Amino acid sequence: MYKYYVTARMSAQEQTNGGILYSLPTVILKICTLIPLLFLWKTIMNAGAKVEMSLPQMMTYTFLSSILSDMLVVKTPATGWLSEGVLLRLYGRPFSVLGQLVAQTAGGWVPMLLMYSVPVLFLAPLLGVRLIPASPAFFLSLPLCVSLGFAVDFLFACLSIRIRNFSWLIDRVRGAIVVILSGTIIPIRFLPFGIATVMKYQPFAALGGSPLSIFVGAGDVREILILQIAWNLVLWPAALFAFHKSQERMVSYGG
Amino acid sequence: MVDKLTIRRILGLYGIAAKMDLFWLLRDTKYALAAIIADLIANLATVSSVFLISVRFGGIGGMSPDEVLFMMAYSTMITGIFILFGAANNFHISRIIGRGQLEHLFIQPIPLKAQLATMGFAPFTGAINFVVGIALLVVAAIRLRIRVTPLWTILLVAFLLATMVTIIARAYLVSTLAFYAPVAAEEISTKAIEGTWLLSTFPLSGMPAFVQIPLLTILPEGLMAWFPALCLLGRPPLGLGSCYPMLYAIILAVFAAAIFRKGMKYYVTRGSNRYLPYGFRR
Repeated sequence: MYKYYVTARMSAQEQTNGGILYSLPTVILKICTLIPLLFLWKTIMNAGAKVEMSLPQMMTYTFLSSILSDMLVVKTPATGWLSEGVLLRLYGRPFSVLGQLVAQTAGGWVPMLLMYSVPVLFLAPLLGVRLIPASPAFFLSLPLCVSLGFAVDFLFACLSIRIRNFSWLIDRVRGAIVVILSGTIIPIRFLPFGIATVMKYQPFAALGGSPLSIFVGAGDVREILILQIAWNLVLWPAALFAFHKSQERMVSYGG
Repeated sequence: MVDKLTIRRILGLYGIAAKMDLFWLLRDTKYALAAIIADLIANLATVSSVFLISVRFGGIGGMSPDEVLFMMAYSTMITGIFILFGAANNFHISRIIGRGQLEHLFIQPIPLKAQLATMGFAPFTGAINFVVGIALLVVAAIRLRIRVTPLWTILLVAFLLATMVTIIARAYLVSTLAFYAPVAAEEISTKAIEGTWLLSTFPLSGMPAFVQIPLLTILPEGLMAWFPALCLLGRPPLGLGSCYPMLYAIILAVFAAAIFRKGMKYYVTRGSNRYLPYGFRR
């Protein structure tokens, strides 16, 4: 395990090699998105519309979604591994490629957790956010969400190999899917025209939206966990099989 | 010897960019179509999420769902124009600077400004969002019974232009950092453009002034769709007047041009060396 720990540590350090000053734009953007988003929900929900969540629940949902954003929808460097030369680095080391990607990604979360998530936690009481989970099942749902996130990411990476390195294209489509299907920004239960009933069974709904719903106590814990476990059982074998098949198709000459 | 810049020459350069775009579509149709669809999905997913919320809640902060649709149509048109004219990283200028590709432009016998203005024109593969934006605008205008007069159309064009100038000026302003730190700031324009994309689709109506005002001044996301849309609906917010976005765009553009020029002076004396001999970036 030590080699994975070192990989993760290297990844965390890599993010701040140029100095933490260069991470500031991301931190500022996150804060500048979070605050208007909280007030947007406040404006919408104070208008008196009847929905299945209260304002404090929605505020907590949005707040938590922002501070855990990297974990709720996992993104590894794999989608850009052909154009960015990541491939060469991963295959040049004597341990599992997917294991390295997991370690590298998890290590990459650390700087933003320290620079953004932890300091912003102190704002929670001022914003009326309650940071105590409604159910301990959250601590099971979050790892399941992260695990599924990796499987989904590997499948997208295999797609980028399949369509000859159009990593930006994959990125755009994935970004779009995440906005609407994962429920991290807008809870799936808020979607109109009965879309929510259908959408809660698709795999992306088992990502960020699931632990968030459990945390704020706005979902059927049992149903959410069953769906998360089921999608993990389906998508992990699919991701491993797709990755095994894709390796022979990789072609890379840096970026 | 640098070519003399005439309108004819500029149009010629747009023609060359358009021809190259058409060749890509014809040569690599499958992938070009995939790129077109990806652009469309990416934009529609963002704007539809806000619109669906407004439908679900019967409006947002005093804006009706149809008014939110109008605002989303404006936002889609802006995205469309951005992709239509910015398909070659010419708006994501920090990428060109950071990757050491500015030199590629220096060796062309055409002024840098003209190259940057014309090189990203992609009318065949990049127009889809603009077309969809127009269609959404027509639907919203009909539902809102907007009287479309020549003056209203001129105002729409002026707002679109002001929004584009604001987006590009801000991207060039922050991209100046890439002259000094090419590796660390290579993607800073992405942060300034895509990083704020979702925020620019938020209707700010009904929010407190301490949220609205910073979003119209320091981080001008309110000027990307919300403010112009309300002006076009005849309700300029906060008593700022319809000419505020134009004024903001001009001031920001002048400031960004001065800072960018300073960065360029630094760059031409220091240069950039991003590539390793075997092709990978440092």
